[in-house]
Amino acid sequence: MSFNNGPLIRVEDLVMHFPITRGVFRRQVGAIRAVDGVSLEIEQGETLGLVGESGCGKTTLGRTILQLYEPTSGHVYFEDTDLTQLKPEPLRQKRKRLQMIFQDPYASLNPRMTVREIIGDPMLAFGMASGKEIDARVSELLDLVKLDQKYAGRYPHEFSGGQRQRIGVARALALNPSFIICDEPISALDVSIQAQVVNLLEDLQEELALTYLFIAHDLSMVRHISDRVAVMYLGVIVELSDRNDVYINPLHPYTQALLSSIPVADPEYYVDHQRIVLKGDVPSPANPPSGCRFRTRCPIAGDECAEVEPELREISPGHFVACIKVPGKEVDTQDT
Amino acid sequence: MTNRLLDVKGLETHFNTPEGIVHAVNGVSFTLDEGETLGIVGESGCGKSVTMLSCLRLVPMPPGKIVAGQANYKDRDLLAISEDEIRKVRGAHIGMIFQDPMTSLNPVMTIGKQLTEPLILHLGLTEKQARNRSIELLGIVGIPRASDRLKDYPHQYSGGMRQRVMIAMALACMPDILIADEPTTALDVTIQAQIVELVIQLREELGMSIVWITHDLGVVASIANRVAVMYAGFIIEEAPVKKLYAGPSHPYTVGLLNSLPQIQVQEKKRLYSINGMPPTLYKIPHACPFAPRCPWVIERCWSENPLLFPIGDSHKVACWVDIKTGRER
Repeated sequence: MSFNNGPLIRVEDLVMHFPITRGVFRRQVGAIRAVDGVSLEIEQGETLGLVGESGCGKTTLGRTILQLYEPTSGHVYFEDTDLTQLKPEPLRQKRKRLQMIFQDPYASLNPRMTVREIIGDPMLAFGMASGKEIDARVSELLDLVKLDQKYAGRYPHEFSGGQRQRIGVARALALNPSFIICDEPISALDVSIQAQVVNLLEDLQEELALTYLFIAHDLSMVRHISDRVAVMYLGVIVELSDRNDVYINPLHPYTQALLSSIPVADPEYYVDHQRIVLKGDVPSPANPPSGCRFRTRCPIAGDECAEVEPELREISPGHFVACIKVPGKEVDTQDT
Repeated sequence: MTNRLLDVKGLETHFNTPEGIVHAVNGVSFTLDEGETLGIVGESGCGKSVTMLSCLRLVPMPPGKIVAGQANYKDRDLLAISEDEIRKVRGAHIGMIFQDPMTSLNPVMTIGKQLTEPLILHLGLTEKQARNRSIELLGIVGIPRASDRLKDYPHQYSGGMRQRVMIAMALACMPDILIADEPTTALDVTIQAQIVELVIQLREELGMSIVWITHDLGVVASIANRVAVMYAGFIIEEAPVKKLYAGPSHPYTVGLLNSLPQIQVQEKKRLYSINGMPPTLYKIPHACPFAPRCPWVIERCWSENPLLFPIGDSHKVACWVDIKTGRER
C-alpha cells in the first residue's frame, strides 16, 4: 500500500450545505449550513471524540466524511485517497474499510432479517464470502462482540438494546474496516449497559487496531473513550485538543459552558459550583450569526466578535481554539 | 416540624399484557415532606414513572391495575377518593411535567389556549384574567415577549422553550407538589442546565415540594435532598443525597455509580460494568431481583427477597449483605 504513516483520515475545509427550496420549480432560497468549513485529521489507531449539541452538525460531518452525502465542497482523504473525487464503484470498494455504528439500535437493524442475515449481508454485497464461509465468519463476529453463537438465527426484536447494539457493532466489523464512525452508539442505552458497550468498543479497538470517530453529546463518556476531542458549534469546530486539555483547561467560552453544564454524580460538587448557564437556544444553521457563531449566547462577546469569523488557531501545541478573545500566546492555566 | 405532604404505603401496580402479568411496582413506600425534593433514580423499566403515575391514578386502566397500597396526600388517600375529587387534585395540588415536551403539548392548540385552560377550569378565572396570568407565568419561566408568543403553536417553540411551557402549565395553579418525570432527558446539556437552574429557583421562590424522576445520577445530585433508587419495581436504597453518594450501600447503587466515567479522573481506565440485564417482571420475585447480577451475592439472596430496612440515620437499604464487610447483615 502506498500509504505511509500519515493521518488515516484528513478532512480539508469540508462544507455540507443542504439547499432550502421553494415553489414548483424548487428554486433555491437558502441553505442549511450543517457543516461549514471543517478541517481535521485522525491518526491511525486514534479515537477522536466529537461533541456538540443537537443540530450542531456532528452527525452530518460524520456522514459527509463517509460520502453518504455528497459534500458541497472540500476534501476527505482516506490513506491519501481523496474520497470526494472517487467514481461510485471505487468509492464503494473503499467503503469496506469505512464503517458506521448508529445511534438507535432499534431503528438500524432490519426487523425481518435474522442476526445471521444482518451480519452476513455486507459480505454477500461485496461477494467476499458465501454459504458456509459466511456462517463461520458470523459465528466468529458474534464471539468477538461477546454474543452467544446460538443467537444467529434470531430476529432483532428478541434482543435488548445493549445486545442489539452489539449486533450493530458486529455488522460494522464484518468487512474488516480500519475506520469506524460511532454515531452516538450509547445514547439510547441505560447507564449499566452503556459501560458494557464502551468497554467492548475499547477492547475491539485494541484487538483489531481500529480508528474511531466517536460522536456524542455525553461529555464525560467522550473524555473517557477519546484520545483527542473536537467541540463543534453550528457547523464549525470551535476547540480541538488532547482529551485532558479540553477538560482541564478549556479555552473557548462554549466549551467552558458545556463542561460546567455536565451533571456530576457527586452532591459535594454542587456546594460551591457556579454553573455557567447559557442563555437561549442554538441559532438556526440556515442563518448563522455573522462573525463568531457563538457570540449570541457568549458571556464574553464584544462588538468585534460580530465582525470577524474566528479561525481555529493553535494556542499551545495541539490545542486549537476559534475565539478572538483567547490571547494568542501561552495561556496561564486556571482552575475551572 | 415539617409537614408531611405525601405518604405512599405498599403501592403495587400490575399490567395485564398478552405475555402475562407484569409486576411493575411491587410494594413501594416513601414519603415527601413540605419543601423537600425527592429524587427517584433507576433505569428504564424499573417502575419509577409508574410509581408516580399510580399516585395520581394516571396509569391507563386497563391494562394497568393498582393492586394494593395507599397514597395519602395530606389527609386523603388518592387511591380511594372519587374520580371527581382526584381530578381536582391533579393540576391544582399536584402538578406534573413529562419527559417529552413535544408529545405532551397539543400540537393543534396554541400555547395560550393550553395555558389558560387549567386556570379557567381549576381556578375559575375569567378569560382575560387567565390570559394575564398566563403572560405572567411565561415570564416566570423565562420566555421572552410572552404576550406575543401566546398565539404561537408548540412547533414554533424550541425543545427547551416547550419544557418551560410545560413547567408554566404545571405551576399554573401553584401546586404543593411538582412531579417531574425525566424533564431534561430529551434536552441538550446546556438546555438541561437552564431547566435545572429554573426549577431550583422556582422551588426557592414558591416553596413547593418536588419529586424528580430520572435515570441520571448526576442531575439528581444537583437537585435532590433525598434519593430513592429503584430496581425491578422495588425501592432498593433510600438516603439523604450526600449519604447516598458518599456511602452507597446496595450493590446496584454501587454498580451504577461506578459505571459512570469520572470527569475529574485523568488516566484512561476501564469502566466498571454491571453484568447482565434487568429482569423481566412476569412473576413475583421470591429472590432478590438483583441477585443474578450481583458480585456480593450469598445463599440467602436466592431464597428470600430482602426488604428495605434502616442501616443508619435515615439511610435504608434492601440487601442481605453488608458490602463493607461482605458478610450477611
